[in-house]
Amino acid sequence: MWAKGGKHGFGASEKLATRKSGRLRAYVTAISLLLVLVLSSSAFFVSDTYLPVLCIFSGILVLHGLLLRGNISVIGRVFMVQLVITMSLYYLLHGQSQMAQGMIVVLRILLAFIPGWWLSVSTTPEKIAQVLTWVLPAKWAFVIGASIGLLPFMTRELREIYQVQCLRGARITPKALRDPRNWQELMTCVVFPLLIQLLKLSRQMAIAAQLRYYGKTNKPTHWQE
Amino acid sequence: MEHRVDLLKLSDLSFRYRSDEGYILDEISLSINRGECHCINGPTGSGKSTLLNVLIGTLSRPFEGELVVSEGVTLGLVMQDPNAQFIRQSIGAEVAFALENLAVPSELMLEKVQGALRRVGLFVSLDRSIQSLSLGQKYRLMIAAQLVFHPDILLLDEPWAQLDDSGVCELISVLKGLKDEGVAIVLVEHNPSVFGNVVDTFWQLDQGKLTQGCFMPEPIHFAYSQKALVGESYIQIDPLVFRFANHDPLFTCSERLQLYSGEIVALVGDNGTGKSSLLKSLAGMQPHIPPLPIQVLARQPKLGIYGGELGLLFQRPNRQLFEISVLEELRFSLKRFGLPLDNADRVLDEMGLQHLSEHSPHLLSYGQQHLVALASVSVYQPKVLLLDDPFAGLDHLYTCRVWQQLVALSQQGTAILLTSHRMLPHTPVTRYWRLNNGELLGEGQAADTVNVG
Repeated sequence: MWAKGGKHGFGASEKLATRKSGRLRAYVTAISLLLVLVLSSSAFFVSDTYLPVLCIFSGILVLHGLLLRGNISVIGRVFMVQLVITMSLYYLLHGQSQMAQGMIVVLRILLAFIPGWWLSVSTTPEKIAQVLTWVLPAKWAFVIGASIGLLPFMTRELREIYQVQCLRGARITPKALRDPRNWQELMTCVVFPLLIQLLKLSRQMAIAAQLRYYGKTNKPTHWQE
Repeated sequence: MEHRVDLLKLSDLSFRYRSDEGYILDEISLSINRGECHCINGPTGSGKSTLLNVLIGTLSRPFEGELVVSEGVTLGLVMQDPNAQFIRQSIGAEVAFALENLAVPSELMLEKVQGALRRVGLFVSLDRSIQSLSLGQKYRLMIAAQLVFHPDILLLDEPWAQLDDSGVCELISVLKGLKDEGVAIVLVEHNPSVFGNVVDTFWQLDQGKLTQGCFMPEPIHFAYSQKALVGESYIQIDPLVFRFANHDPLFTCSERLQLYSGEIVALVGDNGTGKSSLLKSLAGMQPHIPPLPIQVLARQPKLGIYGGELGLLFQRPNRQLFEISVLEELRFSLKRFGLPLDNADRVLDEMGLQHLSEHSPHLLSYGQQHLVALASVSVYQPKVLLLDDPFAGLDHLYTCRVWQQLVALSQQGTAILLTSHRMLPHTPVTRYWRLNNGELLGEGQAADTVNVG
């Protein structure tokens, strides 16, 4: 669709087609949400025997996500971070004997993460919010949709605040954080300013939404892509 | 004679945040009619934002006096940073947000959304991601998101600070069109002169009083002895192609650029040309770019290797404040780099911030927070200081105070590289680097750069 498109109004058949197409997309999003819910929870609940089946499903989702130009490096980073944390904890608590079990835990967390990543690549927060209005009050659905939409912005904020505090000498580099005594510094000089930014941003967004009639109706309509 | 009905009228309106404080708005009167453009200007902290909050009805306390909004009059607001106002991901969905809330049937939205985007001259795919737009386009998108519900009054909060010159030109053209259509416009702006062609009435807000005219700040004089380029080279950029992984080149540089100690170089380019990305690359913190032929302090840039030798201020530097007092904020880096804590008091004195030393940095004004953030970097006297758009959102007074500190640092030998989306005439900038049409160019010393106020 282009803003340059015709000035003229739409015929009845075009309106019907728009409505049908919108409904179809909403159903696809709803099925995607259910699929994510089932696959992510299965990652924790199915026995080890069925994990290969889940791996195949997750592999398909990753391939589809890549086709949609999703950023695979996110999965890689999550995998590496939790690999280090989980395996270190297993080594500390159980020694070498339970390392295989630790690897399975790492795999399960990754399998729980991949469906969420795929959903973020394949659909938009507003579509998710639209589907959620079927089962939740419109305000809750809006808040959930807006929160998901905010994640990329907050991730950028988190990265920039972290980097600038590193430059100021904060003991929060990966090396410094090996020492648990420095974890407090990460909270005070990164998480605390981030929360302040989040509060400011949510207030601004609330004002912006209210001025655009948010809350005027309990049954808002939905834009069809 | 045409009878003009006020859309909105303030009569002797007064407001203060605390009952034991003076009035920030003191018996102000203003009437806004259809097709008029008003511009309100004044120094930081003069109450411009408070006045905006009065108009949009988001004040947390009651006010004295009278505010009359004619029946059925609607207001649209474009905040200073449009990025903080976007609720959706795609252009069509963003503009349609108000229509959704007004329960307009989905099949009628497309036409209205297209109409609003046409009014601001934005001809782009409705499915396109908002993040792919330039800041000027984002600003016009946010105006379209207001126009879609046909507001009678459009409020704009400091557009000049965020937009480059082409963005400002686009905006002025849109505003002229809206005025002709009968939309009333209220601009809150530090730099009102650029909107002279579109504004009907200028108002200055100072010490609570709203009077007609432009606020003329007292010029601040500071001496600056321009240095010849004989200092040590701290930054060296060899010919390069700057690109993000799997993307087309953002810009190229075909000559060697160097930044010497004691210099203040301004990197100037339009929004989205890659200024911030280059600055982050110099600090070794720009992800998704291949290694570049850049040397900072004779090393390949990498986050965390420079200690106290490199300082950086991002846009909105108040984000980095976290301590319980201004003094502690300045002492933080001194403690980490093992430097004398007395430096904090000295810098607070130099920057005229001593009276704020025990204040919480979170309760200061935007301009004060900006100065504290700069002080927290200045305090360890880095050899290289990188600043990303350091004057955004600052009025003349605070801009001059930032310049004073930058001059003081450069005279102590700090090499300063700052970004800006417009040239900075009559300032202590010693040289310019230009990012233009995908090319990074160095220039010789600019002719009229020595500032006397």
